[in-house]
Order: sequence, then structure tokens, then C-alpha cells
Amino acid sequence: MKIKRHNLAIRFTHWVTATSIFILFFSGFGQMPVYKRYFVDQLPGLAWSSDFLATLHLHYLAAMALIFVSVYYVTYLIVSKRWDIIPRRGDFKESLQIFASMVGLAEEPENDKYLAEQRLAFEVTAFSVMALIVTGIFKVYKNLPGVEFSSGAVFWLAQIHNLFTVILLFSIIVHLAAFFIKANRPLVISMFTGYIDKGYVERRHAVWWAKLNQEQDRSEAEVLSAE
Amino acid sequence: MSMTVTRRTFLKRAAASGIAAASIMTGARKVLAESKSTGKYAMLHDLNKCDGCEHQDTPECVLACRIKNETNYPQPQHPIKNYWPQPKHEDWSEKRHITDRLTPYNWTYVQRLEVEWQGKKIKVNVPRKCMHCDNPPCSTLCPFGVNDKTAEGPVVINPKGCFGGAKCRDVCPWHIPQRQGGVGLYLEVAPDLAGGGVMYKCDMCHDLIKQGQQPACVTACPRDAIKFGLQHEMRQYARNWAQENQGYVYGDVENGGTANFYISKIPFEAINAAIIEQDLDGKTGRINMAVNIENPLDEPGTMLSGFVMAPIAGILAAGISTYHIMKGGADDEDQTP
Repeated sequence: MKIKRHNLAIRFTHWVTATSIFILFFSGFGQMPVYKRYFVDQLPGLAWSSDFLATLHLHYLAAMALIFVSVYYVTYLIVSKRWDIIPRRGDFKESLQIFASMVGLAEEPENDKYLAEQRLAFEVTAFSVMALIVTGIFKVYKNLPGVEFSSGAVFWLAQIHNLFTVILLFSIIVHLAAFFIKANRPLVISMFTGYIDKGYVERRHAVWWAKLNQEQDRSEAEVLSAE
Repeated sequence: MSMTVTRRTFLKRAAASGIAAASIMTGARKVLAESKSTGKYAMLHDLNKCDGCEHQDTPECVLACRIKNETNYPQPQHPIKNYWPQPKHEDWSEKRHITDRLTPYNWTYVQRLEVEWQGKKIKVNVPRKCMHCDNPPCSTLCPFGVNDKTAEGPVVINPKGCFGGAKCRDVCPWHIPQRQGGVGLYLEVAPDLAGGGVMYKCDMCHDLIKQGQQPACVTACPRDAIKFGLQHEMRQYARNWAQENQGYVYGDVENGGTANFYISKIPFEAINAAIIEQDLDGKTGRINMAVNIENPLDEPGTMLSGFVMAPIAGILAAGISTYHIMKGGADDEDQTP
């Protein structure tokens, strides 16, 4: 039997975010003069990559997609009140326990729908995306004809945008590296199909499993009382 | 059915508010541009007066610029490494004497031309330097935010923060900034892998302007061919002169407006044709004078409405998704199928 872990809204958010961030990284790095120097524009189909205006346009378009999906997701969270991914008290300690369990130094704690370290990693990623969007919007505004910011503002906007790019890149590398761990791999499929094995949930997400059963009992009780 | 109508209405309202927001921002930009331009300065080159100091090797404006900026020129560390994996680097330190093109050691030069116009060959001399654009792509697109459109008007590169990637030269319609390798911040970071030196160009003597003085080239010109003043006054002077004398202005509309005007009795199309034929040599530092150059950043400006629409569309789409979920749609999470 399978359990639905990610509905369409979440999978949509995840993949639009992933795609737009990938394009933003590629076009953003293209804002530095590296693709010509390193012959990336010599690769088939990538001749445009060293054209700063082409990559700037692409960066703007992907930024619109990221802003769209970020607002979509925040609105979704607020309306649906699903806070499973939001960090809780004790998550830092619990994350250390998870890491210790990976090398056999501790038992893995009983997990909810998301692991403590997933909740913390989410916060780092989400904060970076937010910082990039905010500084990015100011940078777009600054580029408009007739708009001038002070040299200090221009400098710090660029530095903060670049810094969070590095932090986001690092957090995504860690996110992808997590799939080197075999225990995490069923989660990859669930981000495509939405479903995950019941056995996996029972084994690794005992807290979530208990909640699911509670809900099941409640809805069955509701059915009974209605009858 | 009612849902469809609601969505459609919402979309219409979203579009309307997006357009409204975009027009408010456009209005704000205009106000901002006007209020700030009052303190901005500009130069004006009268090509009818400039003779390129024809009786001397180097024109006075070029000499004055070189003396004024002597202490600003790069002092590179040798040997200068290639920009790996490219088998080259840019080094002008052994060619400091060059005065007939833009280099890191020569921030202005005079194009001495013979222009064909109305069947005659006419001598025209054009002093060239940074145009100090109103919305300079070199400054706006600098990845490190160290190329500044100052409040006084000049566009100034900070040599301490510049990495020398030469992007500013690529995006400048005239390719004006010039690179010197072996100097600057990149030497401290990863000199083999990234950066290439520091970019240099005319800064309109920003330090002198802040002290209430005129740029060195303006003061040095023996024929009063270079004027200096508030940008809107220089612009008005150029336009009035062109109207009264059936002449031409360069730098007023080019690249969306600049702080470096040229006036001439000969059309700039003819001057640019002479430049292409007699001055350009396919290498950096010799620059065109193409007419009606459009600012490459004007187009992304039109994408503004996209940035206004994106969050509105996000809220709308989330409304549709959660509406289905709240109604207990089949696609809800945390359920067995």
C-alpha cells in the first residue's frame, strides 16, 4: 500500500522552483564574464551564453517564475495551514542525532512527515531564496532608466545577492548529496509520483504514521456517528 | 461555472492592477529622473571649433588628461599571467606613450578625420572619451556593483573593487573602458582562474567636479571647444545651437541619453562613416560614433509588468489549488489512495 506524501501543489512548487533556480544559477553566473573565458559559448547550442543581455533576459524571466511560485507556495501554506516543513523547537538537537545515527553513533529519532534536518535545511533554502528575491527586485528596479541608487546601495545589493547565491548553491548541493544515502532514496520517487510506500512511512516516520492513523480513526468515527 | 467566471474576473482585475502598478512606477521614475538631474554635470564638444591641436603631436586635452591622471594609472606587477584557459592577457604598461586610442593609460583621444560631405572633404577632429550615460549599462550590469553613476553625473569605476572581467567594455555600446592586467583585487583572490585586472576610463575628473572645478580637458582646450556645465543647460545649449545653425547633436538620445554632447555642422552619420574608414582598426580602444544607439537596458525595463504580475498570479493560482484541497479534492496529501 502507498501513502500520498506530496500532492500536486507541492510537486508543482518543487519542480517549478527547481527549474527556475537552475536557470537562475546558469544565467546569473553568466552575468560574470566566465562563459566566454571558459569556452562554454563554444559548446553546441550554447553560443548565446556569453551574451550578457540574453542571459539577463533569461534571468528576469526565470526570476518571474520563482517569484510566482514562491508567492504561490507561501499562500498555499497559509491557507492550508500545513506547517510540517516549518522548523520546531529542538530541531537542531534532533538533526545532530540524525547525523550521528548515519554513522552508527545513535538511534535515528522517530520522525514526523519531514525530518528535523529537512525542516532546518528548508529554512536555510527558503531564507536564501527570499533574500535573493528581495535584493533581485531592487536590482531590477535599479536597472530601469532614470533610477539611481547610491554607490553604497549598489555595492551592498550586489554583494548580498552574490553571497546568498553561494549559500543557496551550497544548500542545493547538500540537498542533492542527501540522495547518496540509500535510506533517503524512496523520497526522490515521491517527489515525482506523490506516493511513498506504507512500510517506509511506518519504519522511518513513526510520528507521521501515528498522525495518519489518528486521522483515519477520526474520519471512520465521523462516518459511524453520521450513520 | 461560477468558478470560471470568478477566475476570469480575477484575471482581469489582476491584469488591471498590474498595469496600474507599472504605470505608477513609471511615473515615479520620471519624477526621480527630473529631480536628480538638476545637480548633474555634462561636457559639450564643439566640433566646429576643435582643430585637434593640429600643429602638435598630442592635443592639449589629451596631454592635460594624462597629467591630471598620472597618479591614477595602473602600476602592474610583472610578469602578468594569461587569463587561463585563454592564451592571452592585456598589458598596456609598456605602451604608455600611446595617445591615439583609449588605453588604461590614455583616457581620451582625438579622432583626426577627413569627412566627405556634400561632395567636399572636410577636416573634422573628434575628442573621444566616456559618454557618461544617463543609464549606463557598464555601471548597471557590473556584477560587483563597483562602477557607479555618481550623483554629479560622471560614471566612475572603483579600481579597488574592480575584478577586470571587462564586462563593462562588452556592454558599453562604444566599448570604452580599457583593461590593464596584473593589477587589482583579482590578484588577491584567484589570479589564475578569475578576473583580469582593472578597467580604466575617463571619470570626468569627478574629484575636481566635487571641488567645484572643471575637468582638466575643459580647462586645457586652447580653442574653448569643450564646455562644461549642468547637464540640462548643456543639453539645451546643444539643441538650441543645432536648431539655429541647422546642425547636429550627438549624445542627446544615444544610449538613452548621455552627459557628453557633441555639436557639429556635419551630420554624425558622415563622421561615423569616416571613423569606420579611417580610425577603427578592429582592436580595442578605437571607438565608433554610431547614431541613435539604443540602450540595451530599455528592453528589460518593459518586463517590469511581468514582475508585477508574477506575485498576483501566484496568489491566484494558490487560491485555485487550495480551493480544491479545502473542498476535500482527490489530490489531497496524507491519505491512502
